[in-house]
Amino acid sequence: MSEQIKKKPTVISNVRYACAVGATNTVVAIKGAVPIANCSPGCQLKTTAMLTFENAFQGSIAAGGGNMPSANATENDVVFGGIKTLDSLIKSTLKIYEGDLFVVLTGCTGELIGDNVPDLVRSYQEAGYPIVYANTPGFKGNNLFGHEEVVNAIIDQYVGPYSGEKKKGLVNLWFETPYYNQNWRGDYQELARILRGAGLEVNVLFGPENPGVEAWKKIPQAQFNLVVSPWVGVRNAEHLQKKYDQPFLHIPEIPVGEEATAKFIRQVVEYAGIDKAQSEEFIKQEAEIYYYYLEHFSEFFAEYWYGMPSEFAVTADAAYALAYSKFLADQIGLIPKRVVITDNTPAKFRPAITEYFKNNISEGVSIDVDFEEDGHEVIKLIESVEFKAGKPLILGTSWELNLANDKETLFFEISTPSSETLVVNRSHIGYRGALQFLERIYSASVGGK
Amino acid sequence: MSKKINLNMTTVENRELRLGTIIGWDGSAKDLIRQSAYDERSLKKHGGCPAKGQGCRLCEIQSPLNQETMCSNAIVQCQIGNLTDCVLINHAPIGCSSEDAKFNLTMHMGLARRGKPQQNTLCISTNLLEKDMVFGGSAKLRHAIRVAKERYNPKAIFIAMACATAITGEDIDSVAEEMEPEVGVPVIPLHCEGFRSKHWSTGFDVAFHGVLRQIVEKNPKKKQKDLINIIALWGSDWFTDLLKPLGLRVNYLLDCASFEEIRQASEAVATTTFCETLGGYMGAALQEQFGVPQIDAPQPYGIKGTDEWLRAIAKVVGKEKEAEEFIESEHKRIAPKLAEFREFFKGKHGMVLTGSAYAHGLISVLAELGIKNEGALVFHHDPIYDGAGKNQDTLKQLVETYGDIPHYTVSKTRAFQLPQLLNRIKADFLIIRHPGLASVAGHLGVPTFALGDEHIPVGYDGILRIAEILVGVLSRTKFNKTLQRHVRLPYNDWWFSQTDPFILSNDKNVFKDIEKKLEEVI
Repeated sequence: MSEQIKKKPTVISNVRYACAVGATNTVVAIKGAVPIANCSPGCQLKTTAMLTFENAFQGSIAAGGGNMPSANATENDVVFGGIKTLDSLIKSTLKIYEGDLFVVLTGCTGELIGDNVPDLVRSYQEAGYPIVYANTPGFKGNNLFGHEEVVNAIIDQYVGPYSGEKKKGLVNLWFETPYYNQNWRGDYQELARILRGAGLEVNVLFGPENPGVEAWKKIPQAQFNLVVSPWVGVRNAEHLQKKYDQPFLHIPEIPVGEEATAKFIRQVVEYAGIDKAQSEEFIKQEAEIYYYYLEHFSEFFAEYWYGMPSEFAVTADAAYALAYSKFLADQIGLIPKRVVITDNTPAKFRPAITEYFKNNISEGVSIDVDFEEDGHEVIKLIESVEFKAGKPLILGTSWELNLANDKETLFFEISTPSSETLVVNRSHIGYRGALQFLERIYSASVGGK
Repeated sequence: MSKKINLNMTTVENRELRLGTIIGWDGSAKDLIRQSAYDERSLKKHGGCPAKGQGCRLCEIQSPLNQETMCSNAIVQCQIGNLTDCVLINHAPIGCSSEDAKFNLTMHMGLARRGKPQQNTLCISTNLLEKDMVFGGSAKLRHAIRVAKERYNPKAIFIAMACATAITGEDIDSVAEEMEPEVGVPVIPLHCEGFRSKHWSTGFDVAFHGVLRQIVEKNPKKKQKDLINIIALWGSDWFTDLLKPLGLRVNYLLDCASFEEIRQASEAVATTTFCETLGGYMGAALQEQFGVPQIDAPQPYGIKGTDEWLRAIAKVVGKEKEAEEFIESEHKRIAPKLAEFREFFKGKHGMVLTGSAYAHGLISVLAELGIKNEGALVFHHDPIYDGAGKNQDTLKQLVETYGDIPHYTVSKTRAFQLPQLLNRIKADFLIIRHPGLASVAGHLGVPTFALGDEHIPVGYDGILRIAEILVGVLSRTKFNKTLQRHVRLPYNDWWFSQTDPFILSNDKNVFKDIEKKLEEVI
């Protein structure tokens, strides 16, 4: 072990993700679900500060943020055990919260002192309360890992066994980790809109279009699971395959722009085996609108003679680093100079992502992607880029703000943390989002924000 | 028995043990003053012996339901993590550092307010994983200390303990001692794990304790007779204007400070603060251990408080005459504006929801403006402060000067109580510090003012500054009314129908229905 540490520093500065217990926010993203944070004081404020506040100030809702029940463990709990504190917390939460599902997430303290949370939660389950538990200590992984843990816990302890029929055309949408990307809400809506337009019935499990916990009960009825992400959610889809004999389609690339989205739709429709007439009609309609706008934009793109970016560097999680790089390189013709992925992508997914950036990003474009969690090294990697032509574009986090100012680059925040951006409802994916993404980039180059 | 601050130990005794801090209480401010028995506790602190039963433990309401809140480790991040030339290593899993980005923004704001160059915070997480929980994380900590030196070449390196590392028994004291010669700068252990104290403000004491032990000059060669320590956060520099007439320069500690600014604290002529909750430990320790007097006066809020605070400082530096002239001219200067604002706020009610001593200051400012305070929520109550000065009983001064507060509640960031707290009083607006509460309160149709720059209400101009801001805040009621019309908090009808915010603690039968359901299964 010490060998490994000597070889590669594993310390982290300029942190870009929260820990597993931050997956309380995954619960908040389900309508009617209440997280019960079984952790120390500070855990929820810190992780939530990063995910909902210092992350384009997207905010929280319902039992999230200041309303979130939390054990706030004391020295007494550490010495004598915290199960009584948790029991009181569960009772009072059930007493005063309006909730359809309660999820207990145990952090470092509860895990290390060895409280028997499963037995306690089971006694409530047996009494008929819709309550589940997940083990999410920070030392086990980051908030993306925690998200997958929570999803599997709900599936196993709340959705439960199913042996009925599967419904053709019904798809469970497994997409990004709620509250992690600043645009996740708008992106969920755009992706659901696209899939519906293509003729599928979409089971939306998180975000503004999630109807509540009944969507979760419906999971086993779906024809298949669709995972749109380089890696987040694959573990859940594999679990569902085992549990319900339910197949899954894994598409690593979040589609951005008309061509990528049309390709995405065709791939999903082909897999689902549904009639293509509706999806082709939808693609045609959307393309017409998309290029109506793109043609207008092309005047600016052609005529603006005060300079615009031609090279870019991006640092983000795997999903958005890949989606945005592909769109900018393949559809706009911006040259990628550096791509740094910071979400601690599990080792088994890294070769495919590396290969994607090398050979699949766009014709004539190939780049060696870096995986780096330590923000200090991330900044150094971007700092060392020699931008050649025009004003370069940096897409990153608030940690790159000073660097961008020093280098006088165009800069905006696309990834966690973002404290100079405010998002209410925005998307940068699919058809509509891609056009908003263009607006944001080129507004910056005409001097706006 | 008099308890002195002990700088020989690396740990700090918790506030609940040292000061008798509580986080649950409900009644009138007058009652709390009586129960707190400040004078008796002060006598005890100074070695005297009060009558039997006086100054004993305060009654405290225990709540079965708690919510998202802050911890001591976060406070250390906000203090030590915002020094300009020292590194903070959080010896913990990564989640404990997830607030770094927020304190980075805070530091950028603070540096701008103080006219210092922009920089990112200098923080490192040892990013402990499961195997480190089993085999220990000392090797990683040593590595992190070397990385800190190499990356930032800091003047000092701090190590913050976290819940996980405290439970697994990481020996940060030994590692600090062992590594100090190698890196050639002070390596300072901070025992600030979140579970250790029930209130986050112990984190302030831990941060100050660390710098007092290893940075503040023990044997100052010179005294800086025109330098005064202000224990603060990141607030705007309004103390300079207040203290210039007394010929004083300010030395802000700790946020945005450099190693040198901390080191010279013992060379200053006195120490004071914007908040006794925050500054009490540092002020008392500088007096007891370094001979720098702590100003024994009310806090600088409202007219009377500011007058007396200035007079107390003037006495220490021998500028009584200058102080009186300044006080007189300031009263005259703000009088016309103040009269205008008092007219504007006639009949208005406000409520303050902040830490304890700071709340007392803020309520004074509101009272000066003629705004009524029928209720207040403080996140903790310290029946005494470390300095235990005769003139530092902030709650008593508030009530004696401006009258009682009938609904004075002590409760640590429990947002679920807001409907009950607001129902029993009139409030046209709320002033709130600490995240989590303002957004919840905002659902109840009342505008909220998240007071980030803690120096806004300080001094004579502070009264006017708060007034100007509140005009805008009151106007925002429209937003909150819209929200109230369409969005509901996540609590059920039973809860909204309750009147006692502490019913879950006060009614023994409150969980009978749930308990019955659980028993039926067995």
